[in-house]
Amino acid sequence: MSKSAGFMRALKCRECGREYPLEATHVCEFDFGPLEVAYDYGKIKKSMTKAALAKRPQTMWRFRELLPVAGEPTVGTRVGYTPLVKADRLAKWLGVREAWVKNDAVNYPTLSFKDRVVSVALSRAKELGFETVACASTGNLANSVAANAASAGLDAFVFIPADLEEGKILNSLVYGARVVGIRGHYDEVNRLCAEIAGKYGWAFVNVNMRPYYAEGSKSMAYEIAEQLNWKLPQHTVVPMASGSLLTKIHKGYQELIQLGLAKDSKPTVHGAQATGCSPISAAYKQGMDFFKPVKPDTIAKSLAIGTPADGFYALKVMKETGGASDDVNDDEIREAMSALAECEGIFTETAGGVTVGTAKKLVASGKIPAEDSVVLCVTGNGLKTLDAVQGHVGKPAGIKPSLREFEELMEKDGKVKSK
Amino acid sequence: MAAKKKAARKAKRKTKARKTARLWLMFPPKLITQPVVWELSQKFPVITNVRQASVTDEIGLVCLELDGLADDVKKAITWLGRKGVSVEPVEINVIES
Ligand SMILES: Cc1ncc(COP(=O)(O)O)c(C=O)c1O
Ligand SMILES: [Zn+2]
Repeated sequence: MSKSAGFMRALKCRECGREYPLEATHVCEFDFGPLEVAYDYGKIKKSMTKAALAKRPQTMWRFRELLPVAGEPTVGTRVGYTPLVKADRLAKWLGVREAWVKNDAVNYPTLSFKDRVVSVALSRAKELGFETVACASTGNLANSVAANAASAGLDAFVFIPADLEEGKILNSLVYGARVVGIRGHYDEVNRLCAEIAGKYGWAFVNVNMRPYYAEGSKSMAYEIAEQLNWKLPQHTVVPMASGSLLTKIHKGYQELIQLGLAKDSKPTVHGAQATGCSPISAAYKQGMDFFKPVKPDTIAKSLAIGTPADGFYALKVMKETGGASDDVNDDEIREAMSALAECEGIFTETAGGVTVGTAKKLVASGKIPAEDSVVLCVTGNGLKTLDAVQGHVGKPAGIKPSLREFEELMEKDGKVKSK
Repeated sequence: MAAKKKAARKAKRKTKARKTARLWLMFPPKLITQPVVWELSQKFPVITNVRQASVTDEIGLVCLELDGLADDVKKAITWLGRKGVSVEPVEINVIES
C-alpha cells in the first residue's frame, strides 16, 4: 500500500459523516451507510489548472486529481475521452434546439461506460496490494473487469446467475476470467455474492471497492464540461440502474464549480429508466423520497436493477437541480435506438435507447424546454444487445444477379423514375 | 479412527460456525404494522440489532444485523422471505449489469 493518499483525504459516510481510512471498505460501521471518497480540494485547485490540463493526454485520467488513486493509474490508462457529438438531426427528432451525444458506446476497451469505473477500481486495488479482483455481473461490468484485469495481469473472478445467455458469458470468458455460474433465485445469488465478497480477501469492484469504483463515473462529467469549452450543459439526461452514474455526474459538475473551472450555470440532471424497471422514475412521479422495489421486466437488461442502491440519492439530485425523471417502454426504446442510429450513425445498446427515448418525453412534457440545450449520456454499444432489435429493423431486399431486377427495385423505392 | 475424528471435526464445525449478516429489510404496506423483527427473535436464537430504519405508510425499511449460528441465520432469512419481506444484503445490488 502506498503511504501517500494523493489528493484523497478519507472515506466518509454519506449518512452520518464519520470518516474512515482509505482502505477496501464500503459501509459505515455505525449505521451501514455507504462510504464515499472525500478529497483535499485546496490541494487539487493548485494542481489541476486549465493550463496543466491542456498538456495532458486525452483519456479520463487527465482529471486524475479528482479520481481516487494515490499515485499514477496503472490499469485502464487509455480509458475515456469519448466523443461528444453535436447531434443536429437528432435534436430535430427530439424537438429541442440543441442536442449533444456523449458517446461511451465507443469507450475503450469494452465499449461501455463501465470501463471508467473499472479502471479506477482496479488501479486502486493494485495500490492496496490486491492480486485478485472480482465482480458479480450479467453484462457490461463483467466484460470490463475481465478485460481490464487481463491487461493488468490480475486474476479475475466473475459471478453470474447460472441461466445467463451464452453470448454474454463469452465476452468475459475470452479474456481468461474464472466465470462461476450460480444456480438459484436472484436474491439468493445476490446474497451469496455479498458473502463471498466479505469472506475472501479480494477486491470485489462493486462491493468493498465501491467507494473508489463509483467515483470513476465522475470523469464523464469532466469530459462533457471540457468538451463544451468549460460550459456546463443546461440539461443532462442520464440512464439509471442503481442511480450511481447520475449522482456522480452531478458530483462531477459541482466539483468543477467548486474548483473554479466552470461557472455555476445551475446544470439540471434528469434520470431515464425503462418502464419495465422504473422504481426511481415511479418514485419521482409520485413525489416520494423512497422507491418501492420492483421485479424487472424489460429489454434494457443493463438497467434492470429492481432495488437501486443509489435510488434515494438520485431522487435527491433530481430534486435539487430541478431535474425530472421519466421512463420508456420496450417499443419506445427500440424506436429511440433507431432514431439515434439513423440520425447520427451511432448504434447504442438498449440503455442508450432509454436515454434518448426518455429525453424525447421530457422535451414533449416541457421538463426540458424546447429552446434549451441537452447532453444525452449514451453509455453502451448496440452490438451487445443485437437480440433486442432483431426482427425490428427491417430486412435486406433480395434480387437475382440481374440489372433489370435491381432497376425494378430502385423504381419501387422511388429512387429513379420509370421511363 | 481417522474417519471418526474427521466426522467429529465436521460436526463441531457445523455447530460452531457463527455468522453475521448485514441486511436491508423492505416491508410491503401490509406488513408495516406487524412486529416482524420481534417475532423473528422469538422463533430463532439469533441476535437482532437494528442499525437504521425508516417507516412510512408506503414502505418500511429496516437495516438489520443478524448474528448467530450460520444455520440459524440462514433459516431466519428464509423465514423473512416467506413472510413477504424483501431481504437484501446491505450492499443491495451486488449483481450489476
Ligand atoms: C450501459 C449502462 N448504462 C447505464 C448504467 C447505469 O448505471 P448505474 O448503476 O450507475 O445507474 C449501466 C449499469 O449497469 C450500464 O451498463
Ligand atoms: Zn455512518
